[in-house]
Amino acid sequence: MKRLSLIVRGVLGLVIFALVLEFCARVDDALSYGAAFWPPYNREILETRDSIGKRGRPGARFQKWKLNSLGFRGPELRSGSLRIACFGASETFGLYEAEGQEFPRQLERELNTRAGRNSFQVVNVAYVGETVATATLRVPEIVEQVHPSYAILYPSAAAYIWLPWVREGPALAASAATQAEPIPARFEWRIRERIRNLLKQALPSFIQTGLRQREIQAALAGYSVMDRVPEENVLRFRKDVSQLVVVLRAAGVEPVLVTHATAFGKTLSESDRDLLIAWRKFYPMLKEEGFLDMEQRMNDAIRDLAGQEHVLLVDAASEIPPGRGHFADFSHFTTPGAAVMASRLADGLQSVIDSQVRRGSADPPPRPAASSDRN
Amino acid sequence: MTSQTLLYVVVVSIAWLLFWPLRNFRLRQGLMLFISYLLYASWGLRFLGLLVFSSLLNYALGAYVRRQPTAARLWVGVLLNIAFLGTFKYLPAILPLLPSTSLNTVFAGIVLPVGISFWTFQALSYLFDVYREEELQPSMLEFLLYMAFWPTVLSGPVCRLSSMLPQFRESPKPSGEDVRSGLDRICMGLVMTALGQALASGLQLGQGLDHAFDQISSGWTALDVWCLAIGYGFELFFNFAGYSHIVIGAARLFGLRLDENFARPYLATSPSEFWARWHMSLSFWIRDYLFLPLVMLRREKWWRSVALVLSMIVFGLWHKGSVLFACWGLYQGVLLVLHRKIQEMQRRKALPFPEWLTGPFSWLLTFGAICLGWILFRANSGSQALAMLRAVVTPGEYMSRMLPAGLYYLVFACVFGYFGVMAVDLLRRKYFEAVAVPMEVRFALYSAAVYVGVLHMAQTQAFIYFQF
Repeated sequence: MKRLSLIVRGVLGLVIFALVLEFCARVDDALSYGAAFWPPYNREILETRDSIGKRGRPGARFQKWKLNSLGFRGPELRSGSLRIACFGASETFGLYEAEGQEFPRQLERELNTRAGRNSFQVVNVAYVGETVATATLRVPEIVEQVHPSYAILYPSAAAYIWLPWVREGPALAASAATQAEPIPARFEWRIRERIRNLLKQALPSFIQTGLRQREIQAALAGYSVMDRVPEENVLRFRKDVSQLVVVLRAAGVEPVLVTHATAFGKTLSESDRDLLIAWRKFYPMLKEEGFLDMEQRMNDAIRDLAGQEHVLLVDAASEIPPGRGHFADFSHFTTPGAAVMASRLADGLQSVIDSQVRRGSADPPPRPAASSDRN
Repeated sequence: MTSQTLLYVVVVSIAWLLFWPLRNFRLRQGLMLFISYLLYASWGLRFLGLLVFSSLLNYALGAYVRRQPTAARLWVGVLLNIAFLGTFKYLPAILPLLPSTSLNTVFAGIVLPVGISFWTFQALSYLFDVYREEELQPSMLEFLLYMAFWPTVLSGPVCRLSSMLPQFRESPKPSGEDVRSGLDRICMGLVMTALGQALASGLQLGQGLDHAFDQISSGWTALDVWCLAIGYGFELFFNFAGYSHIVIGAARLFGLRLDENFARPYLATSPSEFWARWHMSLSFWIRDYLFLPLVMLRREKWWRSVALVLSMIVFGLWHKGSVLFACWGLYQGVLLVLHRKIQEMQRRKALPFPEWLTGPFSWLLTFGAICLGWILFRANSGSQALAMLRAVVTPGEYMSRMLPAGLYYLVFACVFGYFGVMAVDLLRRKYFEAVAVPMEVRFALYSAAVYVGVLHMAQTQAFIYFQF
């Protein structure tokens, strides 16, 4: 009887242990980020869907990620400055950098420092998983809302590994923002994500790599494995970037093309190979070496396009030193990496800065013909 | 949490399950030595090789001194240990000062083995104790375990073989009290290390003590310096005392009681009392094996003061071979001498101040002096320390502040929170000592501590005392 009582109390103790952990996680979220105590609190609250696909939910906040009233990461728009829109995917949106240190924010500070006054506003219109094709569809809406004079295009080519993922866009007329759908109410253990993060930090890399390889093997069922990305995909990527350039120019926005930088140098270390496996987890159909080849060819396509269309090019792939100091994983920046990226972009935009300085403080920046600001 | 921390948690948990069913103390010793070496090897196999080499050398030296306990034999052992420690700890620091030779490049690549200062001092205490003809006859297994014992090998407490050996030779049954006490200590340690980390990194980016010390090169006001000095004093305390709680608690889970390392040091009302409460295992080591033998050398009063200052300089240099640490030791030595002089003066002239006035005044003076000393301990350079100390003695610098208000709030919250907890603990001990905490409440408290210490602080800062 005594033993049974001890077992029951032990089980009860474990239940209490788990409940208190969950309670602490919720209090922590409330104190640290102002999160509500009961509703779900995860990355999904940052996004909504419209007819084009995923987009930022206006005014949403999850941990360090804060979206403005237009659903773009960063502060509200302010008038009286020359606006630069940053198109891209998660590398541009920012994942690992400290709050306010993603490269568009750092670029804005860098440009304004070089100009000597608050002449520039950089608007991060990127969203996680955004492809060049969907970005093109969003251009009219973004131009109407943001009125950018320049657009930095930092496209991620990874979605073009498997062409069925690059969806054909719907009619442009249907691309206007729809009402943000409500966040579904359901119970979620918040402590689960924290334990997962903890294990990601604590588990030795060989174990994590082994687990990823198992996941890759399990995910391979529906795909044939490729050594390299087919040429057709590279051509499709080039065509889509070209289309984005054309659409932007038609809207009066001058594009700036940026090649895609990664953590990998000319020679691969053991941890680089682990990183490639981590990357492949998202695209199991392409062998690890194929990613490096893909980056090379896609970046060549960007360089070629920039030359052909006379678009300003910033060759980030060549200029940002590889390695874990600048990259938190295969392609996402650390805070110092984002600083280097911002600096290189500012170098590329030096002529724009100079003309803005020459323009003086009185004149408002040039604008494409469009309706007035919302903010 | 790092891979190594996870390894420690997993290995220690498995060891705990294997340990208690073993009834033979030699088997227990073997198991503990095995996991000690396994865990230490996770820092590098070469480090393990050095630890084993030092252990075997000192075991042999112990036998050598025991056969004929002469000062000459003891000196052989002491010098060998100092040479060993000096090669790894101090040689790389003085290399840049020496003329450039091919040896420089050889020695420049030396990496400091983790915990070398701690286990070398344990070895020295063994040699001293053997020289004093204490009844210590460890087997080789016992001595190897004493040197490599996993809770203490990285950052102490610096134990004595005389207190560990009897425990190694016992085979107690598992006790609920040991488990409860061990878990209490571990959880307390987790919370304290989390607080230390919060002070170091701040609640917001660039608002912690580390940023203030490392990124700001000038412009501190006197208020800023006091905030940094007090804040760093508490960061160091939370960090190191928290770590000590964790290892003492972990050893207690195995029924072993380690020497205490901290005893409410910031309640001390004199520098002497402070050093009897702060990093006690090292402080007592310095007293027993350095200060007392030094004092015995001469009978003059002034020599006692010199011995005190010299001992504290060694204390400082034990942390790191740098001018700043020597200055910190010198400063602490001077404080101790001054306190001794004031005590002598008080004895000569019975001063008419009431206890209720002298007590708080002494505490305030001690607290301020000790905290100011942390500037020397933490500053990145002599010029930084000087600039900070100059600000403290400039009256005009007390009118403004440069550091963010958030850091002030954080430091105040930690300081007042700490003293508040001390007061509550005092009341609990006085009135509710006998009240048992139900198991369910304990689980809830453990859970909260695990959250604060592990899950909230997933990005752990390097533990400050590892560098020593």
